[in-house]
Amino acid sequence: MDPIALQAGYDLLGDGRPETLWLGIGTLLMLIGTFYFIVKGWGVTDKEAREYYSITILVPGIASAAYLSMFFGIGLTEVQVGSEMLDIYYARYADWLFTTPLLLLDLALLAKVDRVSIGTLVGVDALMIVTGLIGALSHTPLARYTWWLFSTICMIVVLYFLATSLRAAAKERGPEVASTFNTLTALVLVLWTAYPILWIVGTEGAGVVGLGIETLLFMVLDVTAKVGFGFILLRSRAILGDTQAPEPSAGADAQAAD
Amino acid sequence: MTDTTTEQPPVLRTRSVVGLAVCVVTALVGIFLIPTLQEPGGGLNVRFWTMAALELLAMGGVVYFVLNLHEEPN
Repeated sequence: MDPIALQAGYDLLGDGRPETLWLGIGTLLMLIGTFYFIVKGWGVTDKEAREYYSITILVPGIASAAYLSMFFGIGLTEVQVGSEMLDIYYARYADWLFTTPLLLLDLALLAKVDRVSIGTLVGVDALMIVTGLIGALSHTPLARYTWWLFSTICMIVVLYFLATSLRAAAKERGPEVASTFNTLTALVLVLWTAYPILWIVGTEGAGVVGLGIETLLFMVLDVTAKVGFGFILLRSRAILGDTQAPEPSAGADAQAAD
Repeated sequence: MTDTTTEQPPVLRTRSVVGLAVCVVTALVGIFLIPTLQEPGGGLNVRFWTMAALELLAMGGVVYFVLNLHEEPN
């Protein structure tokens, strides 16, 4: 076997980019996730469930487009850092800028928080991605690490908000919602924490991990954080509106009749 | 006793559905079209900021239109 396949992937397009193997697999997995969610959501009439499906279909849908663009080398640029030229897939940030706030919107809708809280959460998240992108395109190590730190602090704020305010709000909506919310939040906490770690050890940071392995790991994180997240969310009864939840609504009706 | 009242499924707001479609197109333009545009100066910054702005706009639009996806009941 070609040693490069063991180290970093396989150059599918013959343009000297072994990471195209992982980008191609990422495109396929995101597409499969998108079509699975479309089929699963076809004909859903529940008002709240429709909102979750709209968001959850768009997330892997746009991510598959971003992966396809990276597969073909669109949105790939070279940035000079010191005396070294780095390959930066900046289309990755376009994907994250669009999709990560929508994942948070799913969680905010689940917790049923007010629109100001949704706006704050989405705003800090967007700031996290934009500052990460500025860091990725910066030319000096000091600037890169400073923007990375800024972006990571934004991420900690988002995760703290999820684990405290939103979690408390979700708990008030009953055990079904609380259970689904806790599972999804745990997934987000673990996966999102891995992103800045991978960035700092990858080619955009210290360069301990090569571009092929980095692309593979980002692909695994992206697919799990988007398709895995959507799969857990959409199979839960917690996404159904109050009128569709069988037992609690029936009990509530009976109490109301008394 | 069986409840015989039938609930009408909530009505989708056409404007929001069209808005979502426009947001998807905007996001795709940001991902595919902007990076391929050639600038006279050859600079990266304009492309990168335009791409980021389009993705932000598309994301903001999706948030707005999803929160207003259905007609309000009278």
